[in-house]
Amino acid sequence: MAAKKLSKEKVQEALQELTKFRLIAPAKSDEVVIFKQITDPGEAFLDYGNSTVPPKKVVFPQTETLFRFQRGNPELREKNVEEEGTTVIFGLRPCDARAMSIVDRLFSWDFEDPYYLKRRELTTLVGLACNEPPSINCFCTSLGGSPFGKEGLDILLTDMGDHYLVQALTEKGEKLQDILSAHLEDAPAEEEKKAEEMAAQAEGKIARSINTEGIPEKLPTLWEHELWKKASAACLGCGICTFLCPTCHCFDIQDEVEEMGEGRRARMWDSCMFSEYTLHASGHNPRPTRRERTRNRISHKYSYYPKRFEVIACVGCGRCINLCPVNIDILEILEQVVDAS
Amino acid sequence: MVEVEKLREIAREVISRDDVRQLIGYRQGTYGFRARPAFITSPEEVDQLIFSPACVNNLATYLTLEEKLPVPRGQEPDLRKVAVMVKGCDSRALVQQMEEKAYERDRIVVLGIPCTGVVDMDKVEERFPNVLSRGEIALEGDKFILSFDGRREEVPKEELLADKCKRCRYPTPLVYDQLLDQEVARFADDDYSDIVELEKRSAEEKWAYWEEKFSRCIRCYSCRNVCPMCYCEDCVLDRLNPQWMRRSVDLSENTAYHIARAYHLAGRCIQCGECQRVCPVEIPLMELNRKFYKDVEELYDYEPGTDAEAPPLLATFKVDDREDFIL
Amino acid sequence: MAEKNSDFEPNIVAFLCNWCSYAGADLAGTSRIQYPPNVRVIRVMCSGRVNPLFVMNALQQGADGVLISGCHPGDCHYMQGNYYARRRFMLMRNFLEYLGVEPERVRMSWVSASEGAKWKEVIEEVVNGVKSVGPMNKFQRRQLNW
Repeated sequence: MAAKKLSKEKVQEALQELTKFRLIAPAKSDEVVIFKQITDPGEAFLDYGNSTVPPKKVVFPQTETLFRFQRGNPELREKNVEEEGTTVIFGLRPCDARAMSIVDRLFSWDFEDPYYLKRRELTTLVGLACNEPPSINCFCTSLGGSPFGKEGLDILLTDMGDHYLVQALTEKGEKLQDILSAHLEDAPAEEEKKAEEMAAQAEGKIARSINTEGIPEKLPTLWEHELWKKASAACLGCGICTFLCPTCHCFDIQDEVEEMGEGRRARMWDSCMFSEYTLHASGHNPRPTRRERTRNRISHKYSYYPKRFEVIACVGCGRCINLCPVNIDILEILEQVVDAS
Repeated sequence: MVEVEKLREIAREVISRDDVRQLIGYRQGTYGFRARPAFITSPEEVDQLIFSPACVNNLATYLTLEEKLPVPRGQEPDLRKVAVMVKGCDSRALVQQMEEKAYERDRIVVLGIPCTGVVDMDKVEERFPNVLSRGEIALEGDKFILSFDGRREEVPKEELLADKCKRCRYPTPLVYDQLLDQEVARFADDDYSDIVELEKRSAEEKWAYWEEKFSRCIRCYSCRNVCPMCYCEDCVLDRLNPQWMRRSVDLSENTAYHIARAYHLAGRCIQCGECQRVCPVEIPLMELNRKFYKDVEELYDYEPGTDAEAPPLLATFKVDDREDFIL
Repeated sequence: MAEKNSDFEPNIVAFLCNWCSYAGADLAGTSRIQYPPNVRVIRVMCSGRVNPLFVMNALQQGADGVLISGCHPGDCHYMQGNYYARRRFMLMRNFLEYLGVEPERVRMSWVSASEGAKWKEVIEEVVNGVKSVGPMNKFQRRQLNW
């Protein structure tokens, strides 16, 4: 499909058109940019680097009901995700979309997760390319991504100054582009070429990198290496790196009784960095200290996941580096892995 | 300003002692101006230690954070001391931990650093964004000097100073075995003006304010984990039996989480401000803790983290405690 | 101010110490003293047993107000329990007010075993106070449909 152009003056009306769906866009809560449902196009804040909490929470909510139960009633009422309706995530970054494709593999592997997959089916991803890497700690290019990456997206928008270049990448994207056709014009012929040049420039500005070749095979050989003790010494065991990671996907399931005789089974994000994550009912904990948990986290993302699904479970968004309270740096750890003997 | 060579010399001496297992200090971070904790176990590693206004972490939290694993049969537990570098605010955490008998005074070696203030790293990174190569921050007079990429930038101190430092009452550590610099006299005080301003709002306004904040909370537990006073092995926020707050993340549970945590810090929070610094979604947690701090000071004339012999606040009472609200 | 529905009957949870306040409330009952029925009583051995988080939890689970009642200072059956309780609730009440929970919702009283009449007055005061601020609608666990 030929590329289109969305003039910046028309963004509000285009967003207004999309509010008939469940429209999720970056918005401000005080000074923090979060992805949330907006009903007023004025709330959308597209002039942002990247959000703190990734948009994974739209297709994989931090808390969601799986089913409800009632005393005396043998039937469980399963959550019907279909009711949430068509969702459009507008303005997410390519790394976050690529992350969803990576996590898709797990949720459609030995058990097809109906909640997650249904939401993915109902969601259209309209991405916004990064003319500049949002952060000094971005390293998406080392992992097969790009500031202008198209993987996982249905539409890619590129900020060309006074308008966005609109490129539909999938059938879902074309459908949405049709819906917005009243607000779009044809893009000038050279725009796509120009966008490619901008992409190369943006990729050139990525400041940090790591050569991941051989890391997945090397990690299991470093099981008892002393680097883990040093890397994890400062770790607080909080959940920042996992909750803000667009590829992290672990969850806990708990039952909650809401009123006498009624309740729900809900799942909520869990973090492998919490000490209770592997705490057995007996009291034994196979990952008792932060050393084991740090080793596990890196190994999961850079070794176990690629072994199973042929892709490293990291997109280089840099959030873990930016927001770790004690400056634990995954790139530093990976460099130590590469150098370790 | 602390002289780095002197700091390293003292650290070398301390870690060379037979009775010291580990020394916790600061070293340069992995990018930009950041500094991060260093864990030294031998004299050879001492040269990475630094101290500068970038050293914002409260290292006292590591004394209670370290996991105590069962000792394998035939081995003796390693009971040697831990040395730690603390600024004024951090030292109050040590005092409060000792007040609560978390450990005995002879288990630690305290290297006190009289502090003239640390930076707010968010303000630094906003002022000088996208600095990758390692930079340094120093204080000269009333200006911060930032050196990076061959540049030398001078910024007036109050533009980058952390908010908590503008209200600091104890710049010089209250407990120490050695002081790494000249004592710093008190240069600020806390008048709780921000708390008073919030108190004046109507109930609806107050709730609207806190509702916005608590709705953002993602329950990462970072505030609790970084806090030097949160070290219960069976933390109220994690308990399943009874489960005070569910693991599900919504306004009601998040509010319960913050009420419970702030309450458990009443008379214990030593105002290091780390919780607010680490929060990824910028919840003004110090506004919660300082409300308790103000009330505790006004009602019970008690300041946590100042006297290791004092009894904990809620384990004491006075017969004439205020009861004007009681029917 | 929200519309105060004149039909609003608050749900108030009261933690009463076994030796004084519970006995006092019982005396009000045996003396056939009439008082508003909005209070649900939970008997504890001492007001000092009441964890301040009970207040938070009660409000979260749907109570519109919470009352803690114990022996008069100096008369605690366990000598000092009510002194500790006094400190705890002063702090909790102030804090909840700071978050926007009206102080009329968190009350404390000293009612001795012989004060049946006082019990009636305490209840009337508390119920009227909660009625004046309306139903609790701030951080309750909402019945989530999904």
